[in-house]
Amino acid sequence: MIAGALFYYQRHWWQNRLLTRVRRLRQPKYLMGAIVGGLYFYWYFIRNLGRGGRVAFSSPEHRDMVESIAALVLLGMVVLAWIWPHARAALAFTEAEVAFLFPAPISRRTLIHFKLLKSQAVILLSAVFITLIGRSWGGGSFFIRLLGWWVVFATLNLHLLGSSFVLTKLMDRGLSNWLRRVIVLGTVGAVAAGIVLWLYHTMPPRPDVAEGSTDLSWLRPYASRVLHAGPLPYLLFPFRLVVAPYFAENAGQFLIALGPALIVLGLHYWWVMRSDVTFEEASVELSRKMAERVAAVRSGNWHAAQKKKVRRDPFQLRSTGHPAIGLFWKNLISAGNMVTTRVWLSLVWAAVIAGLILQSKARQGGGLSEGLAYFALVLVGLSLFWGPQMLRNDLRQDLPATDVLKMFPMPGWQVVLGEVLAPAAILAAIQWLLLLLALFLFPDHFGDNPFPARTRFSFALAAAIVLPCVDLIAIVIPNAVVLFFPAWFQLGKETPRGFETMGQQLILLFGQLLILALSLAPAAAVFTVVFFLTSRVFPIAWSVLPGSLGTAAVLLTEAGLFIMGLGGVFERFDLSEEVLHQG
Amino acid sequence: METAPPILSPADVPALIEANGLTKLYGDFPAVTDLSFSVRPGEVIGLVGPNGAGKTTTLRCLSGIIPMTRGSVRICGRDLATETIEAKRRVAFFSDEPRLFDYLTVEQHLNFTARIYGVANYRELARSLLEELEIADKTDKLPGELSRGMKQKLAIACGLLHSPEVIFFDEPLTGLDPIGIRRMKDSILKRSRAGAAILISSHLLHLLEEVCSHVLILKNGRKIIDGTLDEVRQIFSEQSGDASLEEIFFRATGESKVEP
Repeated sequence: MIAGALFYYQRHWWQNRLLTRVRRLRQPKYLMGAIVGGLYFYWYFIRNLGRGGRVAFSSPEHRDMVESIAALVLLGMVVLAWIWPHARAALAFTEAEVAFLFPAPISRRTLIHFKLLKSQAVILLSAVFITLIGRSWGGGSFFIRLLGWWVVFATLNLHLLGSSFVLTKLMDRGLSNWLRRVIVLGTVGAVAAGIVLWLYHTMPPRPDVAEGSTDLSWLRPYASRVLHAGPLPYLLFPFRLVVAPYFAENAGQFLIALGPALIVLGLHYWWVMRSDVTFEEASVELSRKMAERVAAVRSGNWHAAQKKKVRRDPFQLRSTGHPAIGLFWKNLISAGNMVTTRVWLSLVWAAVIAGLILQSKARQGGGLSEGLAYFALVLVGLSLFWGPQMLRNDLRQDLPATDVLKMFPMPGWQVVLGEVLAPAAILAAIQWLLLLLALFLFPDHFGDNPFPARTRFSFALAAAIVLPCVDLIAIVIPNAVVLFFPAWFQLGKETPRGFETMGQQLILLFGQLLILALSLAPAAAVFTVVFFLTSRVFPIAWSVLPGSLGTAAVLLTEAGLFIMGLGGVFERFDLSEEVLHQG
Repeated sequence: METAPPILSPADVPALIEANGLTKLYGDFPAVTDLSFSVRPGEVIGLVGPNGAGKTTTLRCLSGIIPMTRGSVRICGRDLATETIEAKRRVAFFSDEPRLFDYLTVEQHLNFTARIYGVANYRELARSLLEELEIADKTDKLPGELSRGMKQKLAIACGLLHSPEVIFFDEPLTGLDPIGIRRMKDSILKRSRAGAAILISSHLLHLLEEVCSHVLILKNGRKIIDGTLDEVRQIFSEQSGDASLEEIFFRATGESKVEP
């Protein structure tokens, strides 16, 4: 009867989730997102499935070696499961499940069964996802790899649960976490020492390889021999049983490998079900924390989902002055302790000193500094794309707190300005640091052409002037998208997921890049004209500076216009309407 | 010869909150319809009504959080639609759930609020507010480290820092313990005596009865009645004028009272 009720709950949970998602497609924005997301998913993951399994191993020895390494990784995870945990065993239930199931006349054993059944859905989905992502990892067909992953995940899940029960029992018997870690690490150390000693006597000799040789072709056969020598095969045996189905290359091999793997899985199940450990109290606490974290993540506030620490003031905020600076200060605090004047000054000093040392090494013939200089410049370029996506301490973070922002006695443009300043400033500071590194490390020639210090300095200064203005626009654009299409962002409690969200994000990303490119076009035109005119009078090294000033003026004007316009949108913004119309 | 200032009757004192024909539609759904009332300095109005009557929407429109669809609101004589900033400078709104930034400490919240409202010497004010609310020893704590009642107190300290003339409370007693409820009532009465106009939405009718001078009953987004407690009692009392606010509520809204 109880099992029927739990099954009913699970069935309707999935059914209602699916129905909600399907109903949401009646809204064009989700339908469009679903089409784009579906096409993307098909193109990258599904399209190649029909072409049959790919055999990724060059030889049986190769497959055997990879299987041994996989078993070694699994062994490492199991060891960690006995060392890492510090809290009592807690099964993750939702708050509603805790409220309904814990006081109900349900045995602990049934609760564990329910939890195991529920985790199967997640395990299966994870297995499907990782099989699609890692098409080329291993041989066999799609279904062999899918079931192979399922065996690994299911066994690991049961082992983690069983070990957490045992650790809780040990805690109840007065064994402290540290003593337990010492014992486990001591045991692991003793076993490792024994293996090393055994290996020392049985390990095959390393092939002769010339000093400084870059040819590593000897490594694979040698590693394979090591993994099959001495005690390692015995130690890895149970773990190889678990990973073996994944590495089967055909149905016959798979069925042969599946039997022993299922025996290991069954033994784990028996172990977990035999454990009689109280997990309810810890589960209640865990479900509360999970609910808080999920609510924070769903409302787009990833910071709230993380463990919070008191963060230092980035600078002394006076109580009078432009209120937008208050928002800037608040968002810098939300960005973390790295964003303080002291930290940045330390980083600048570190960059200067490292630059000077590496440059002097470079003069002595080292090529590292040149590579680092190019790397720093590549990072500057990438930061223009990834920076605005990663630094979200602006309206994207504060939109759930719109009620609070709208109460402030500030015109909309000041709110928008205050919100976008922090990520723009952080991004600019990172770029300046990279430019400083590049300035110190760049060689004094560019190909065959000389590239003297004053030219390098002038180029770096021009970039340092233009980049913050580009950053400001690059940050304003996603904030504009938030205000114009708030329902496409994470609002309300139920965050849309799935193809439609993935498609929406792709559309948004493409749109943002397009707008950024269009915004940069007039600035680029101004730079070209100013540079062309001034280079007739001044040397090129100095002509970039007036060009960059003109570019910065255009970009700042554009950013100012965007911010003023968005301020009006913010003043008219009615979150209640948006939440009302969300799917 | 100096002339004595004219003695103003309560009706002559300019209202701090004036709502005229306030209407808010969500799509086609009227959440609040044609609501008009005024609140003078020192008055505490209890906004009551069944669930979905439009109480929270009214408060959110009055504090400028959401735009109204029709009508006008004046706060301290400033039109909320055209003189928004000046109007908001005089308002504090306390929602049922304290809205705090989870990465700012108590001290940082007050510093931030002071900057937003331009409160020059906020430290002294903040200290006295924190002492009044009994959270002076929590200045370096994050909201996550505070109990719900303490979070509520922090939100109140932030809201009162700029000495607002108009205060809106949406279910202010939710989550408070008996001592907290007593202090909250004292705090409301203290601000009212200082001349603030206060509008409180709550379902705790007996508590409203203790702090409110006036009552405004809403149902389905429409005003049923407003006036002083005595005036409303007179209208809804069957025999005598001593009906409780609870009885008035049931009679006014046409809801049937659940007998014990």
